[in-house]
Amino acid sequence: MNAHPGDLIIGLMMIFFAILGLILAANALDLEMSVFGLSLAGFAVAFIVGQVRRHFDTAELAAITTERARHG
Amino acid sequence: MVDIAIDEVGPPTATAYPTAAGVETYNEAIVRKAVVATVFWGVVAFAVGVYLALELSFPSLNFGLEFLNFGRLRPVHTSAAIFAFGGSALIGSAFHVVQRTCRARLFGGEALADFVFWGYQFFIVMAALSYVMGFSKSREYAEPEWHIDLWLTIVWVAFAIVYLGTILKRREPHIYVANWFYLAFILTIAILHIGNNLALPVSFFGAKSYSLFSGAQDALIQWWYGHNAVGFFLTAGFLGMMYYFIPKAANRPVYSYRLSVVHFWSLIFIYVWAGPHHLHWTALPDWAQTLGMAFSIMLWMPSWGGMINGLMTLSGAWDKLRTDPGLRFSVTAVAFYGMSTFEGPVMSVREVNALSHYTDWTIGHVHSGALGWVAFITFGMLYYLVPVIWHRTKIYSVRLISWHYWIATLGIVLYITSMWVAGIMQGLMWRAYDANGFLQYSFVEAVQAAHPFYVMRAVGGIAFLIGALLMAYNFWMTVHDKSTAPVGA
Repeated sequence: MNAHPGDLIIGLMMIFFAILGLILAANALDLEMSVFGLSLAGFAVAFIVGQVRRHFDTAELAAITTERARHG
Repeated sequence: MVDIAIDEVGPPTATAYPTAAGVETYNEAIVRKAVVATVFWGVVAFAVGVYLALELSFPSLNFGLEFLNFGRLRPVHTSAAIFAFGGSALIGSAFHVVQRTCRARLFGGEALADFVFWGYQFFIVMAALSYVMGFSKSREYAEPEWHIDLWLTIVWVAFAIVYLGTILKRREPHIYVANWFYLAFILTIAILHIGNNLALPVSFFGAKSYSLFSGAQDALIQWWYGHNAVGFFLTAGFLGMMYYFIPKAANRPVYSYRLSVVHFWSLIFIYVWAGPHHLHWTALPDWAQTLGMAFSIMLWMPSWGGMINGLMTLSGAWDKLRTDPGLRFSVTAVAFYGMSTFEGPVMSVREVNALSHYTDWTIGHVHSGALGWVAFITFGMLYYLVPVIWHRTKIYSVRLISWHYWIATLGIVLYITSMWVAGIMQGLMWRAYDANGFLQYSFVEAVQAAHPFYVMRAVGGIAFLIGALLMAYNFWMTVHDKSTAPVGA
């Protein structure tokens, strides 16, 4: 796997934030914290999905670029 | 005068990266996202501002709904203008400038830069939702509750890591002056944000928190933050923008590098002491008020040093103002900067403040800075940057930029003149006594007298909003229209 270390660290952070968001929402004492917790979890999951998509997009594009360079 | 140009000529030395948008030497995707966010939040901030101006003119426009009342929407407007519009512009331009002047791709990989951008947008949305729901820490320009503050701290530290890391891995020996200003903005805002928002939450699972400070100390901490948010967010950051984009658009070196060094260090040293001028005639000790006033007056010189350096950079290129309305925005912004930084120290003098404080003069002053300086320098930056980062040959319509310029300028003039008149009138009415020593006017009479000026202010705001919508349309067409596409694309 050819991933930047920064991508992995951010990915791990996002997993933490997603879980934290769910814990905050589950125990929220007011509507504001409930909305924040659920939004944090949703944000973190969406970010991870974006990371996965970009990883495969970039790998695919790099392969195409290499292939084009090989054939002039 | 030392001529140091922004030298980007020559082969790029950073490694080219394949991205979804093609092969790019620098991380321009993040800059494009920030530009889109800047335009979007600009329109939102101006629209909410117009709505609030109309609400102040015609209060029934809140329709009796709690989430539409002035108290809840006011922080939405200020946060959208300062942090969403201004912050997105600063993050995007900082990432663009640091990569170009250091000849290095952003430090930390794609995800870290993405986290800074999306994390910041998440902060903005959460803060706005929180205000509308009625939650607020009641601190000027720092209304979000503790958990949103903590989130912003994490995002800001990530921003600092990306920026500092990029400077550390630069392939250019010199650190260009714009980077000093961006760095001062990033580091000082981190300190201010943490210091001002020290608070004790009622519960880990509840939104409510209470400040660690109390009384006059709390007020002083609040305005130490508040004034330096102006100084380092709305001044230092945007001066960084000025130092890169005006020389680029004018194709001229910075007028005086020595002046930029002197005014940088004097600005950042003096600014941090000026906050107490917001607390004249309060329980704050007199010596602290005088200190704030004295440092505010001293701020004239470094502020005008920046203005002179920005304007004189145009030496030999003034003719470009006729043909490049984007540059016209930047130059007018610097002129507004000079005007606001003259007005500010005048208002900080205790006797003047006795008249101006709590009146709409302050609102006029803030908006001559926010619209005239911050928004105009941002528009100038955007008109330069959009064709560059979307790889287009030109802006779709120069005529539309010109229309934007004149409509927005008219809007600002209407706004600030009406607020000056209303403010001075209010101050004079509040302090007027009759022959028997009674107040000559009731508060309501002062409100009634200000009404026509409130309507005029709303008209000015509408003009400014229309200008921003023209800009958004122009950018959309620049990115999508065939007439701006490079040959062969």
